Amino acid sequence: MALLEVRDLVVRFRTHEGTIFAVNGVSFDLEPGETLGLVGESGCGKSVTNLALMRLLPKPAGHIEGGTVSFDGLDLVSLPESDMRELRGKEIAMIFQDPMTSLNPVLTIREQMVETIQAHRKTTAKEARVRAIELLGMVGIPKPETRLDSFPHQFSGGMRQRVMIAMALALEPKLMIADEPTTALDVTIQAQVLELLRRLTTDAGTALILITHDLGVVAGMTQRINVMYAGFIVETATTADLFAAPSHPYTVGLLHSIPRLDETRPQELVPIEGTPPDQRRAPVGCPFAPRCAWRLPVCWTDNPPLVPIDVNARLVVSGPNATHQIACHNPPTTEESTAGRPLREGFVPAPPPGSVVEDLAPTEEVLA
Amino acid sequence: MTSPETGPAGAATSSVPASSSVPGGPPGSAGPGPSDAAVLVDVRELKVWFPITEGIVLERHVGDVRAVDGVSFKLRRGETLGLVGESGCGKSTTGRAIIRLNAPTAGSISFDGVDLAGLSGSELRRIRRRMQMIFQDPYSSLNPRMTAGGIVGEPLDIHAIGSRRERQERVRELMSTVGLNPDFVERYPHEFSGGQRQRIGVARALAVNPDLIVADEPISALDVSIQAQIINLLERLQGEFDLTYLFIAHDLSVVRHISDRIAVMYLGRIVELASSRDLNRFPFHPYTVALLSAIPIPDPVVESRRRRIILRGDVPSPAAPPSGCRFHTRCWLREKLGNPEECVTIDPELRVIASGHEVACHFAEKVDDSPEQLQATGRASASTPAAPGTAPASAVTDERPSEATTPPA
Repeated sequence: MALLEVRDLVVRFRTHEGTIFAVNGVSFDLEPGETLGLVGESGCGKSVTNLALMRLLPKPAGHIEGGTVSFDGLDLVSLPESDMRELRGKEIAMIFQDPMTSLNPVLTIREQMVETIQAHRKTTAKEARVRAIELLGMVGIPKPETRLDSFPHQFSGGMRQRVMIAMALALEPKLMIADEPTTALDVTIQAQVLELLRRLTTDAGTALILITHDLGVVAGMTQRINVMYAGFIVETATTADLFAAPSHPYTVGLLHSIPRLDETRPQELVPIEGTPPDQRRAPVGCPFAPRCAWRLPVCWTDNPPLVPIDVNARLVVSGPNATHQIACHNPPTTEESTAGRPLREGFVPAPPPGSVVEDLAPTEEVLA
Repeated sequence: MTSPETGPAGAATSSVPASSSVPGGPPGSAGPGPSDAAVLVDVRELKVWFPITEGIVLERHVGDVRAVDGVSFKLRRGETLGLVGESGCGKSTTGRAIIRLNAPTAGSISFDGVDLAGLSGSELRRIRRRMQMIFQDPYSSLNPRMTAGGIVGEPLDIHAIGSRRERQERVRELMSTVGLNPDFVERYPHEFSGGQRQRIGVARALAVNPDLIVADEPISALDVSIQAQIINLLERLQGEFDLTYLFIAHDLSVVRHISDRIAVMYLGRIVELASSRDLNRFPFHPYTVALLSAIPIPDPVVESRRRRIILRGDVPSPAAPPSGCRFHTRCWLREKLGNPEECVTIDPELRVIASGHEVACHFAEKVDDSPEQLQATGRASASTPAAPGTAPASAVTDERPSEATTPPA
């Protein structure tokens, strides 16, 4: 049985300036011990999805307006707040992007770690301290006995993120959510932290959801990937399948937007035109249509569902044999996916229908 | 070289022929110098130190943060030099010193044959017209109270170029050059997306027809799908306007894509300088190798084959850099060689190891063809796609340029 089952999750923010359509019906599963990457650009709903799972949406604007989340048999959407508190940290732990803002600057590391441990376990302060030292040693902090009494500002960025990982692992959670855990770090420090995260979650059998915008990071870290755009999952596959045969125009676009370090000669970059969508309007049609080079007239009006690429395939939603699914009316062929642009004779992306006023359509970069 | 040099004012100070090489240089920048192309910027032994003081009324000088501590390089006309390194390595300070946003503590910077250190006031302003900067954050580098047109046209106002009407014309022209709708001149920065704002920053830099553009992390604050738009724009403009770029970034894969040559910095020094291709295929400095190995590649097949070199600890403080080689505290090669004395006692100079390839390491020859180098570069995969794990050294010699062969130490 799946550890986590998210079905048709809808999250909206009701603000004075109108409603923000942050997550628009997201479904996915996670097996115990599985690692899942959530990839997308800022505003695609990847972080909001996970804040919703943890029921940590900013109040009062953020609401779960539909769908179910079941974790280990519990319905997280309707769970009373006191039970939810019990769950956070103990069953589901979270690591945020910026370790400076997620640690309390006026408390020592010891106070914060002991507090975390004692909040969920009946232990004496002494036992909790021993456990804290053990954890700090595990994440590679030199001289943990003395460093325990340091304040967060006395640690470097990489060290702070290690402390965060130590705290997240303190209660041996079943699921760890890491939201851009290395984005604020330098690349050599990123390598240290990712290595640590991979080793510890593998050793403990912790399931991991890794949220990132960096396709390189998920390539080496996860077993399965959901690509998100404008609050929808537009492509989902095992990591191997996704990189072997990227099939949604957005995924293809992302892969052609970044230069690869190992390319033998510099490849021309094929940017995705236009800008990310304004999520203050209710989604009509495919969310990616205004920027898509493959769009058909139908893309402006009908949002395609997430379906298996191979129509005859048996649908497997999690684990190593998960089915490769995309939400697209007009997927790129293999050759087009390699080239990064449509190769069909005389193909022109469909212009917006007259009824849709689309000021988001690419007004810029007519020259490229 | 044909630079679109316009104003008569600029010509007065820069009439020195660009090719005139300035008197005998320090060992660092010597070697197979850029004799073929004219040198636009010549940086020698540049140091930028920031004083650390104690006390409030009587500020006692107690030390210095040695942000840049002896950097030498040449920038040829029309080329792109990438400057990479981690935060705090001094790459931005170097770029800012060239534009004279930070005054150099020591060393010289000559721009088109003119030593910038000796300039002040109006002379400095005139020569600054020929160098412009693009900043990292398009949210904080644009004045929110000015319109896009006002921002792009401000350099023209400052340097009093053209009539009011001509300036307006020029602004509209610049907007369309960078791919913005010229009718947006009356809009304010908040009405633009991040990528569009960065285009405004680029248009502003282009306004005065500069020779040199220092781009300090121009794409780091942008979304992935937008980054490629700006990279392509910068590449196109370079060809169109014969620009020289100093491209500062922490992301080696981006720098490699756009640069002709790359300088890798660590703790205020350049540790390796080579052509973009050589640096990525045959890195000689242990730090460069570690940096390359740390960058994730968006391909699980390649990723599973690579092995990272995990550097221990953090970058030491630039206020008290380690003795000898600054990298010795974290160096994997030093450890592998059994901690030789030289690394701690002798500060390695930048030396030529192959044609156009300089490195500051006593034992750079030991890096060549080491398993670490092969794994970091993924070179094994290029020639022997079927062999995962450690690749035999013999399998990877095919693409090596002949002059890069190095004698054993």
